[in-house]
Amino acid sequence: MASLPGLNLAAASAEPANLTSTSTETRQQDLAANTEYRFEVSFSRTLTIRLRTGTAEFFGTELGPSTTYSFKGTKGAIYTWHGCSLEIGGEAESEYVAEETTMMSYANAHFALEDLRDKAMQSNEAGPRVLVVGPDNSGKTSLVRILTSYALKMERQPVVVNLDPREGMLSVPGSLTASAFSGILDVEEGWGSSPISGPSPIPVKMPLGYHYGLGNPEEGKLYKPLVTRMALAVLSRLEEDKASKHTGFIIDTPGSISHGKGGVYENIDHIVSEFSGTCGVCFVGKLLTISVNIIFVLGSERLYSDLSRKYGHRSEDPISVVRLDKSGGCVDRDEAYMKHFRQNQIHNYFFGTDAENTLAPYSLVADIGDLTIFRLAESSAVDPSFRPGDDDDDVYAASKNIYEKVNPSSAMQNSLLAVTTASPKDPQEVIRDASVQGYIYLIEVDETKKKVRVLVPQPGQLPPNALVLGSFPEVVPDLLN
Amino acid sequence: MSNASAEVAADFRDALQDLKINSRPEISNLTIIAKENTEHAQAISHELENHIRTTRPEWKLPALYVLDSIVKNVGTPYTVFLGRNLYRTFMDAYMVMDPANRRAMDGLLKTWKQPVPESMDTNPVFSPEVTRDIENALIKIRTVTVQQQAMAQRTPHGLPPRPASNPMASGAWRNTPTPPQGGPRHAAPNDPRVRHNFPTPNNYGQLPVATPPSQVPTPQPPVTSIDLESLKADLAKLIASTRGAWEATPTDLALAQKLKALMDLQTVLNTQTIPPQQLQAIRTQIQALSPPPPPVQTYVPPIATTPQPFIPSPQQAAPPSLPPASGGFNLAQLLAQARPPVAQTPTPTQPTLSLADLLRRVSSPGQMSSTPVAAAPFPPPPHFPPVPQPVATPTPAPAPTLTPTTNLAQLLAQMTKSGSAPPPQVPQLPQLPTQPPAGSSAPGATDWLLNALKGVPQMATTGVLPQSTPTASTPMTRQASGMTAVPNSVELTTASMKQPRFHLIARLYGAKPNICATCGRRFENSAEGKEKKARHMDWHFRVKDPDATKRGIHRSWYISEKEWIEYREVDESAPDTANSAKAAAVTLKKDPKEQYVHVPADAARDAPCPICLEKFDSNLKWHTDANDFVWMDAVNVNGKVYHATCWDEYSKGAGIPAPSTPDPVLGKRKADIGTPVSGKKVRAY
Ligand SMILES: Nc1ncnc2c1ncn2[C@@H]1O[C@H](COP(=O)(O)OP(=O)(O)O)[C@@H](O)[C@H]1O
Ligand SMILES: [Mg+2]
Ligand SMILES: [Zn+2]
Ligand SMILES: [Zn+2]
Repeated sequence: MASLPGLNLAAASAEPANLTSTSTETRQQDLAANTEYRFEVSFSRTLTIRLRTGTAEFFGTELGPSTTYSFKGTKGAIYTWHGCSLEIGGEAESEYVAEETTMMSYANAHFALEDLRDKAMQSNEAGPRVLVVGPDNSGKTSLVRILTSYALKMERQPVVVNLDPREGMLSVPGSLTASAFSGILDVEEGWGSSPISGPSPIPVKMPLGYHYGLGNPEEGKLYKPLVTRMALAVLSRLEEDKASKHTGFIIDTPGSISHGKGGVYENIDHIVSEFSGTCGVCFVGKLLTISVNIIFVLGSERLYSDLSRKYGHRSEDPISVVRLDKSGGCVDRDEAYMKHFRQNQIHNYFFGTDAENTLAPYSLVADIGDLTIFRLAESSAVDPSFRPGDDDDDVYAASKNIYEKVNPSSAMQNSLLAVTTASPKDPQEVIRDASVQGYIYLIEVDETKKKVRVLVPQPGQLPPNALVLGSFPEVVPDLLN
Repeated sequence: MSNASAEVAADFRDALQDLKINSRPEISNLTIIAKENTEHAQAISHELENHIRTTRPEWKLPALYVLDSIVKNVGTPYTVFLGRNLYRTFMDAYMVMDPANRRAMDGLLKTWKQPVPESMDTNPVFSPEVTRDIENALIKIRTVTVQQQAMAQRTPHGLPPRPASNPMASGAWRNTPTPPQGGPRHAAPNDPRVRHNFPTPNNYGQLPVATPPSQVPTPQPPVTSIDLESLKADLAKLIASTRGAWEATPTDLALAQKLKALMDLQTVLNTQTIPPQQLQAIRTQIQALSPPPPPVQTYVPPIATTPQPFIPSPQQAAPPSLPPASGGFNLAQLLAQARPPVAQTPTPTQPTLSLADLLRRVSSPGQMSSTPVAAAPFPPPPHFPPVPQPVATPTPAPAPTLTPTTNLAQLLAQMTKSGSAPPPQVPQLPQLPTQPPAGSSAPGATDWLLNALKGVPQMATTGVLPQSTPTASTPMTRQASGMTAVPNSVELTTASMKQPRFHLIARLYGAKPNICATCGRRFENSAEGKEKKARHMDWHFRVKDPDATKRGIHRSWYISEKEWIEYREVDESAPDTANSAKAAAVTLKKDPKEQYVHVPADAARDAPCPICLEKFDSNLKWHTDANDFVWMDAVNVNGKVYHATCWDEYSKGAGIPAPSTPDPVLGKRKADIGTPVSGKKVRAY
């Protein structure tokens, strides 16, 4: 196996040339207190924003007065509590100032959580455990980011759990991750970056990841067991990590689990029950006493009423179900945008942020036999509604057909493979439940020469671990161009 | 090696044997052989390395030009094969060469750190990891040579001079010594990774042997009266002002580079005894650094014995009044230049820091907490003006009659009683708009009313950030949540979420008036807050390291489930001691590739890795942090040295342990690798 550090991977993105020309001219945008400047920038343009005077924040993270921030492929809003003046450069696809925002209610939500955190600290119990649900594009992730940023401003250390495979957090799409946050979030990069081999000006966070490999949780049989596993890990962490325990966790979810079937929200129920003490003993051998105790429902009245009926009034472990308004700024992101967004996340995993291209991945040539790939079996990906007998018990039943073992083939070129921490010899359940060590990308498969060329994030030999191939995210044909 | 490979290699070797001068056709010919036989690249690379190692010193340089030509015109896979041993190939040759040839090699190295001219590929010819090692070794050699010669009281004529350091003037690649190649015929149009664009002949300068870097000997000014202390003081001043400037405009890479270079210089000055001659050189260095330094000067070669005339390049826009190096030394002028235009930034330049403070802060930020802060190494940055001038912030005049200060206790009692039930005022609220009404005054007014009713201090509602008074030594945040918890408590109901509570926002802003201009993180105005901010600023400085981008940084693997559960977050503003222990523990096991051992004594030096039976020769590396030659990717287990990657794999056994099983090697490694590798403390960033 040979590492090719000299590999030319200057992955310039689509139309970078015309950026600088527009960004030299800037304009001033004044904002009155409690208003926000909403904008959308395409992936091929850059919008720059600098705070001239006043205070301003981007999804809860304050803008540093001496930094000029660049946004690309972003939809968002700069909000100000006190009023501000911005210097804006570049071109937005759309931009306007909104006077009606939901920020006060999101701040209220934060301060309600703060009260609980103060109490948790006094009694050394777990702080608020929050689940955020709502349809696609209702602002769930934005709310989670705001709540996280505000918690960080109060020197808290929230654990954020992303259960939405459509959008990675500190990882690629298709993954489910959790991370404790401390310090700061980044205005441009949001959640930050997973560790790199050198200093990073973007705050580095430590994600724990599992690979789901499908875009929709309602699709397959893997989602629930992975949620179970994630819950165990997070609850175990909370048992031991005081700072995170007192702050509690916040779970972000995909919109699809909020659709429900006849008023039943199977996956929400599963998350609530798994992120709670009922599953018994955690990894560190303690009885768990932590469970989701707050559900924020964004937008949907119906979801709110269904969930309050189910959880709001139960005598044991009642859950506060609270509805929050959907921000008027929420943008419906079409599939083309989401695809671009995903490819960008994958690019950033290997190469660092788009703008800086700071990371140097390695290309490695290996024998076909060096890769043991487990592809999600068709049967794991079928809609559970086709399987009337498919209940929770079935999910945990030992099965050999979660994955099928496949050889690398040219059809798999440009796919992302999850490098699990399991051995290829492990039972399939172990592979499924194994956390992910990282991702590699199949550049080329030469079936006649029996060679594969893969892109790996870091130098060294290819780990001999079990690799998982899902159908999501889709192939990224131009990752190296 | 296959037969075909052996044959090609033999041909190549024969052709090499004849190469005794810088013959353009011969070098071209060898490049073509390499190009047309990439499937035998390993054998060819091996031949070439062998030849460079064994041939007579005066014939080494032409062979190095062959290497240069191949890696630039063919690229991979040669860059890989030749890159592996490049350190050895290069350094072995360097050690036996005369100064002129060394200069030529310096020139070569410089071009290897850059992309191939006119290529689409923006990556350097060799990866920064490869060239950095060589560069570090060269710096060390120069330092040592200079010191030896200084001690021997000899004139510095035989020294390897610094590489000509004016890369911005023309693009350093123009000095590339490789003779021109025939043009695009070498390109492999089908291979996307091959560099398509070759330098056109006229882009190549003449061979450097014929044209050594233009160094006009400058008459040295008298060196008799250099006072070390005053030099140090000057340097400290320059550092302080540069640091101030950098803090004001932290995005300025050139400034950061300058700061780093100055601090390196300071270390040299403080740790080594330097003869007067060298002091003069340092003085020249300080002078040279006064305008924005060119990037290559990051590694301030500590002692340049042939001070070069300072020629400001056009980009540097040096004021015409700048005296040449050989002339007078006007520190005041330099300092004036080093200062940024104050108007550029809302944060005024920091007052001058004392040298001691600076050193302490830079070298071991962790000691900060135990250091008396009397000297105020980090004066609190001025409060950021909270209210923007151009924006009319709603500041309704307080209605005195509404301010129920006398009834506070009563109100508090009411609030307490209300518990989960809405407070008495709330029934009025449903009439309020669910969202703050449009316009900027109405919400403020509503808010004001509510706050007044709740007895919240006026300042919190107006958008004016309360400035912490000097008496506020307890953390404001906790104070706020503790003392006013009851009236401020927010009930977790859908209705409660819609009530405006603007006074609470002060807990996110005013409670921490001290904002980091770079990232917006806020700090309390207490002593602790100041320390935190100082450490936070140090963090910004560390991660802004201008060298960082050149280091071939890559994404690391994620930690395992068990490690994650046991991992504790690192806050960059927390005292270092709290951070490093935990962080180092997880990190050391993180990347076997980056583990190393000091090169063992002679007998053990030839022992191969017991697992793969390969020797460690190619792992030899100068390790900056360890300040020693080390074997990378190596680990010492019970007195035997293994490749860390081999051991890692082996220790995991045939079956990798279940994710929750602890790694049995972890403890061992910690014990074996005594020196924590600071660069590897991923978490510390
Ligand atoms: N106030 C706002 N102004 C502008 N854009 C917003 C605002 N809130 C959310 N968005 C954007 O709308 C999109 C959908 O929001 P998001 O929080 O991702 O929704 P969800 O997680 O529910 O799918 C995102 O691109 C987000 O950046
Ligand atoms: Mg989302
Ligand atoms: Zn900062
Ligand atoms: Zn080995």
